[in-house]
Amino acid sequence: MRKTKIEVVQSEYERKEQLRRRIYAVLPIISVALLLLLWFLASSAKDSNFPSPKDIVDRFILFLHKPIKDMSLLGHIWASLKRVFIALGVAWFLGISFGVFIGWNKKANALLGPMFTAFRSVPPLAWVPLMTMWFGTGEFPKVLIVFIGALMPVVVNTQAGIANVQKLYLDVGTIFNAKSRQMLFEIAIPSSLDAIFAGIRTSTSAGWMVVLAAEMLGGKSGVGFLITRGMDSGDYSLCLLSMICIGLVGALLAVITQVLERIICPWTAKKSS
Amino acid sequence: MDSKKIKLKLKNISLSYIVKDKVFDAAVGVSMEVRDSEFLVILGPGRCGKSVLLNMIAGLEKPVEGHIRLDNEEIRGSDERIGMVFQKLALMPWKTVMENVEFGLKMKGLKKRDRREIAQKYIDLVGLQGFEKSYPNQLSGGMKQRVGIARAYTNNPEILLMDEPFGQLDAQTRYAMQDEVLRVWEAEKRTIIFVTNNIEEALYLADRIVLLTNCPARVKEIYDINLPRPRNTIDQEFLRLRKLISENTDLAL
Repeated sequence: MRKTKIEVVQSEYERKEQLRRRIYAVLPIISVALLLLLWFLASSAKDSNFPSPKDIVDRFILFLHKPIKDMSLLGHIWASLKRVFIALGVAWFLGISFGVFIGWNKKANALLGPMFTAFRSVPPLAWVPLMTMWFGTGEFPKVLIVFIGALMPVVVNTQAGIANVQKLYLDVGTIFNAKSRQMLFEIAIPSSLDAIFAGIRTSTSAGWMVVLAAEMLGGKSGVGFLITRGMDSGDYSLCLLSMICIGLVGALLAVITQVLERIICPWTAKKSS
Repeated sequence: MDSKKIKLKLKNISLSYIVKDKVFDAAVGVSMEVRDSEFLVILGPGRCGKSVLLNMIAGLEKPVEGHIRLDNEEIRGSDERIGMVFQKLALMPWKTVMENVEFGLKMKGLKKRDRREIAQKYIDLVGLQGFEKSYPNQLSGGMKQRVGIARAYTNNPEILLMDEPFGQLDAQTRYAMQDEVLRVWEAEKRTIIFVTNNIEEALYLADRIVLLTNCPARVKEIYDINLPRPRNTIDQEFLRLRKLISENTDLAL
């Protein structure tokens, strides 16, 4: 039997499509590789104060043997996360309620809107001195500052979502004689869920950033505290190790909120499939 | 039942808007009678008037002058005896087909089991069984409009308003949906008021056609269409009527 070579016939379009897919699969790998390369270069330069990847691994192992303030690295991460979770829980609950209230009720928006706009232009960290003078350096002031930082995006997005519900959907409610409460819970709130989730995503990343800053300014635990500790003791590796942890946890939090959105709003996920 | 019984009466309906400090008349002195269980088509050129008229019957807009009587009682605002199929579908993307269809009954406070049972009947009637758990964005244009029709029927309205329901569908689907609407109408007789700007569609569907003028909308002429169904769109009489109405229709700018 004669062997025949099988040729897969590909159209120009298919070939381009395949190439495109390969490029997109490779690009992220290239970027990570470039980052690592840059890191090696930066750390191997003469008189470099930039810790090398090996320094970071060593510092990590040292951390396992020698906790800081009686807490492992995970313990510190958890200490930061706990503050964020408590603050986020309260901020989501109050923020969504308040946002729905001023989004649905035009008079309430006219009354409270301007006050809120002024309030939210103050960066959360500006509260730190006052909070410290009022409440000291314990848990409560930190959680409160994170709460302030996380509250704003939720309120703003929820308000916008509720206030901009398409008239068409409300017309459907009118046709079917929906009561005002049904209009809100059956139409306005579900139709603004994607806007609310945009607020939740922003508030999560804002909360994670604010907690670290709050910890850096005074605290005895948390990843932000580790960075300050690293600075005070000239421990470059500890600073960078903490920063890497911040990045990883932040990315994880983003993924979690995305999964949460897929579960709560399945119709948005199905759009792409 | 007496088929000549008057179901809905519009008397001297006018509506105008104020656009940039100028009064813009959408409809002027529109009067018409809608008979019980008839398929009435409101035909008109251009963009103004027709939808506004339906919206007023539906209670989405208030006439500046005139009144609307249903079964000899004046109605104000939305009435649960009147249902509507929207031009822009208006299905709620966050609700499944079943949840969209049962929406009206849910607003009425029916128990889940009861409303599912009724909704299922109309989902079956429009041929969407098997898609109850799908979300609207997983459906084709024709299927979405079927959901809209099932949703309106499920609420058991006495009058069904259809606002250019097939305007966004491609020609093939449009023909299929016209037959579908007639089939459902024959199966569940209601009074239907159907708005379109398509003369052929109007002639294919209507018992009577109310021809409106271009902006502002006035009643220009009312045609009784006594052709047997299913209608043949290349039938002599069909074409004659089509020409007649076409020549009588204002040019839309």
